[in-house]
Amino acid sequence: MAMKKFINDPQNLTAELLEGFAIGYGDKIAVESDKLVVRAKPKEAGKVAVVTLGGAGHEPALSGFVGEGMLDVSVVGDIFAAPGPPKVLEALRLMKREAGILFIVLNHAGDVLSGNMAMEMAVKEGIKVRMVLTHEDIAPGADAPAEDRRGLVGCVPLYKIAGAAAEAGKSLDEVYEIAERFNNNMATLAVAMTSATHPATGTALFELAEDEMEIGMGQHGEAGTGPSKLLSADETAKVMINSLVGAVDAQKGDRLMVILNGAGATTLMELFIVLAGVKKVLDEKGISIATARVGEFLTVQEMAGFQMFVAKMDDELLDLWGKSCDSPYMTVR
Amino acid sequence: MSELIGRDEIIGMILSAVEKIKANHEVLTQLDSAAGDGDHGITMLRSMQAVEDTINDSGGASKKDLLHSIGWAVMSADGGSTGPLLGSFFVGMSEAAVKDGLDCRAVAAMFEAGISKVHKQSRAEVGDRTMMDAMLPARDALKVSGNGASITEMLKAAADAAADGAEATKNMVAKFGRAKNLGQRVLGHADPGATSISLIFQAFYEGLCHKNQD
Repeated sequence: MAMKKFINDPQNLTAELLEGFAIGYGDKIAVESDKLVVRAKPKEAGKVAVVTLGGAGHEPALSGFVGEGMLDVSVVGDIFAAPGPPKVLEALRLMKREAGILFIVLNHAGDVLSGNMAMEMAVKEGIKVRMVLTHEDIAPGADAPAEDRRGLVGCVPLYKIAGAAAEAGKSLDEVYEIAERFNNNMATLAVAMTSATHPATGTALFELAEDEMEIGMGQHGEAGTGPSKLLSADETAKVMINSLVGAVDAQKGDRLMVILNGAGATTLMELFIVLAGVKKVLDEKGISIATARVGEFLTVQEMAGFQMFVAKMDDELLDLWGKSCDSPYMTVR
Repeated sequence: MSELIGRDEIIGMILSAVEKIKANHEVLTQLDSAAGDGDHGITMLRSMQAVEDTINDSGGASKKDLLHSIGWAVMSADGGSTGPLLGSFFVGMSEAAVKDGLDCRAVAAMFEAGISKVHKQSRAEVGDRTMMDAMLPARDALKVSGNGASITEMLKAAADAAADGAEATKNMVAKFGRAKNLGQRVLGHADPGATSISLIFQAFYEGLCHKNQD
């Protein structure tokens, strides 16, 4: 199968993309020890550090959110593959401090294995660290066990909220409590329209017919609830937001954060049209949109589709969301 | 006769596994394209390159230190789930490989320690369609034949058990990893991770036979 991408060596994609990333955003981030993306201006040692890990190929996630008020370190793996435990341990050692480390891991088999092994070793070395595991995908059902639910774009607002809490000088236990509260009140549902090509192997991640879409598709082509006929923006918005509202048990009067995260090939035009559809449904239910974002945060190469994210917000979470931050792909002033 | 193997034989067996994976990585990629995201062949190739580089750079490191370095190198090869699991196999082997010359029972114990280490991290069982479907039957075969058989006979039994275990994954739906989300779509294809383990145990057996002929 022909692969139409501007690349050089398919086996050297991560190193080359990090090289360019460091050139593009050298004022905010730096790449250390090959695979660690760190803040250009490190946070004060007295504050909790926020660390994450994950495969490449989802740019700007995850490393695009390293910066003041967000992540301190992102440990980068290879394309769609978790970094190994030694590199993750190196990041935890780098951030070792009395205030401690909040370690955010997305629920994918490799990430969890690496994260758990590195954390075990770090704790043995006396490093103070607590893990938050994101698992907000509701494709397997909102009641499915946490281990069956993947971590999707929800990690990004979580970085922002936990990062703001850490920047405010809160203790590790406080930052953890805030992060878990947000984590337990968020949900994501994805939809795919066309496949993406794995940039290292050149193979398609999945197949969908011309007139089909699939709700629940994961960010590596993991199957969702099965293909269905293509729906309009309003119809798609309605199906998805209804599932999400149910998943977070949002009631009349509740305030939601809504994020529409483009998968790579879906236009902002489409995402704005979908967001308008989302608002219509929420208005009918008496649920308000307290804050919304539309853009590409966590992509899947040239896949068409998007992830729809919601979180139930309270005053403290909204306050932290509004605090200033300065990362390559999210800035609040 | 009390047959003993040492550092040279173990290196021979591991390098035989490196060659086996290199020769079969395209098959592994094809299997993973049917049941995963298609990168297992590349991941295994990269992991095995890390193994080979570690052996080449090992100098006079002891068997125990060498196995530990190999495990750490495999974990560092950024292979998603494969790296931490396969790396744990070698680290686990290292923890049991204390004696200079290993008899049949000690070789069995070494592999059992490696497999148990992986099992602890993976938490998958036989029937879950993971590399444990090849590893756990191999461990059982080692337990049965670790007493009395020759080391080559024992490795043959482990390789056969791993191969049968990998073959059986063709009829399994995955409970772990990305293949889990593909449900019934994976049926008819062997699990790539289990297939890799089966190839590795076959290569361990062949590598020791070859070494014994030298």
